[in-house]
Amino acid sequence: MVDVKAQPGFKTITMLCLALLYTPILILVLFAFNAGDLAATWGGFSAKWFGVAFSNPEFHSAAKNTLAISAVATLVSTTFATMAAIGMTRVKAWPGLSAALMVVNLPLMVPEIITAVATLSFFAMIAGAFGLNFGIGNIMIAHIVFCIPFAFMPIRARLEDMDMTLENAAADLYATPWQAFRRITLPLLMPGVASGAALAFIVSFDDFTITQLVAGPGQTTLPLFIWNQIRRPITPEINAISTILLFVSVAFISLSFLIARTKKT
Amino acid sequence: MKKFLLTAASIATLALAAAPAFADGELHIYNWGDYTNPKLIEKFEKQFSVKVTLDSYDSNETMLSKVRAGNSGYDIVVPSDYTVAIMVKDGLLEQTEPNAMANFKNMEPKYIHSYWDDGRHFSVPWQVGLTAFSVDTAKYKGDINTYAILFKTPDELKGQVNMLDDMTSIMHAAERYLGQPRCSADKENLKKVSELLEAAKPNWKTFSYDTITKLTSHDVAVSQNWNGYSWRSRQVVGTVQFAFPKEGIEGFMDNVAVLKGAKNLDNAKAFQNFVMDPENAALISEFARYQNGIVGSKPFMDKDFANAPEINPPAGSPEPEFVPPCDPAVIEIYNKIWTKLKG
Repeated sequence: MVDVKAQPGFKTITMLCLALLYTPILILVLFAFNAGDLAATWGGFSAKWFGVAFSNPEFHSAAKNTLAISAVATLVSTTFATMAAIGMTRVKAWPGLSAALMVVNLPLMVPEIITAVATLSFFAMIAGAFGLNFGIGNIMIAHIVFCIPFAFMPIRARLEDMDMTLENAAADLYATPWQAFRRITLPLLMPGVASGAALAFIVSFDDFTITQLVAGPGQTTLPLFIWNQIRRPITPEINAISTILLFVSVAFISLSFLIARTKKT
Repeated sequence: MKKFLLTAASIATLALAAAPAFADGELHIYNWGDYTNPKLIEKFEKQFSVKVTLDSYDSNETMLSKVRAGNSGYDIVVPSDYTVAIMVKDGLLEQTEPNAMANFKNMEPKYIHSYWDDGRHFSVPWQVGLTAFSVDTAKYKGDINTYAILFKTPDELKGQVNMLDDMTSIMHAAERYLGQPRCSADKENLKKVSELLEAAKPNWKTFSYDTITKLTSHDVAVSQNWNGYSWRSRQVVGTVQFAFPKEGIEGFMDNVAVLKGAKNLDNAKAFQNFVMDPENAALISEFARYQNGIVGSKPFMDKDFANAPEINPPAGSPEPEFVPPCDPAVIEIYNKIWTKLKG
């Protein structure tokens, strides 16, 4: 076996790539602690911009919207994804199985802007034709749809890795399919579900393109809020808000990763 | 699992049920980001006992795309001049007749007639700005009120010029410097514009919208700029001055308009009348740092800003020009010149 780390130039290229990827983010975080008024000129160390951000009512309402949307999108999409994953791994192969798999994963392949425009016209149409407007529910529905494949992937991977003999043993011991599922499959599946849920949460939490087009009055989310602040000279407040967002994202990604890893062994 | 499903379902139902009902006593405003003074909204809410929601967009195009799709749910939008013209033409705005409103008497007469809403049947001014350029006078002592600063850059300023990454404003600035009409389709004229830009380009450092950072970090000493941004730059670097070029100056105006089919039409009309009150117009300016097109608002602003040179052009400087979009044929040639310039 050739050790990739021993290849000439490996270290340099790796360092270069890592630096390119993470230096801008590090600088963003660093300037969140800037005491000055400008996002690009250092004026000493201070955490005051976090205070400014936390006392900004627009930030509050955007954070509330974002959390509500992400929570609902995570719960519903993870539920659907779990059902879909079981329906695709724990049953006899059925005609259309691979087509169904494609459909579930479609949101990953369709360019996001296309989904965004389509969703915008869809909600505008049902509002026009039937007078239906779910308010913030519109965004939740849109998020549920594109979160499903993200929740689906780790759950399906976990199901495929799991030892079928346990489930077979349960069936041998006269457990009904529901009992077997409730007592054996689901507990074993939980790490996959949790990891899928964390991924779904973060995808919903960060989404910009679709949300921007679907959001109605009073439905500004954090990513939209940040984007629209950039029209004015960027103050470290934006850095502070971005840093908060970044930490939530990193926390959830790490959580998803840790759960998926520790429980497997 | 059942419990989990139930919880998920009930949360989803709750969320859907909690969607805002469009009742009386609401107003949904859709404005540019970071452009609305929270004090203005608070005051309107108190005075009319109305609950206001404020959402923001980053460009006229984002706003238009949502409004065009229909049923956006917003009552008030704040489109720029040329966008008002498009929205009027496409029937997207409610004809609210601001010209018959009580506070219309406060509007500066010169803004009643405009190419985008002549006679003010749809919209009222929100902010009026100027596009020219700023110069750090610590670096240059000569006369700054000429486009020669951008196009025949004096030696002291060479290599320290930032231009807006904006084709139209650069083309119009060049046309003004050459004494040509705006949007001229004349081949000779366009050739001269192209030559002027190509000759000036080696003296320019960057094309960027981030003018305040550029000026205040001393990255450049000259930047094409808007007067509101120039004011902000001067708060950091005291020697930054806004130029009023003698060859002509570009104006732009964002306008408060009501969307066709707005659910809260009466509140929206009340808001249009509300922003034409000098005291309220002053609140808008104090936040966004531009003029507001309303007579008598200056006494309500803080003194520093009311007397700022950025919003008080020196005697003899030209009236701002509001230029409608050029013909597609001209824009096509502009694009070619621009691509070559940026290449």
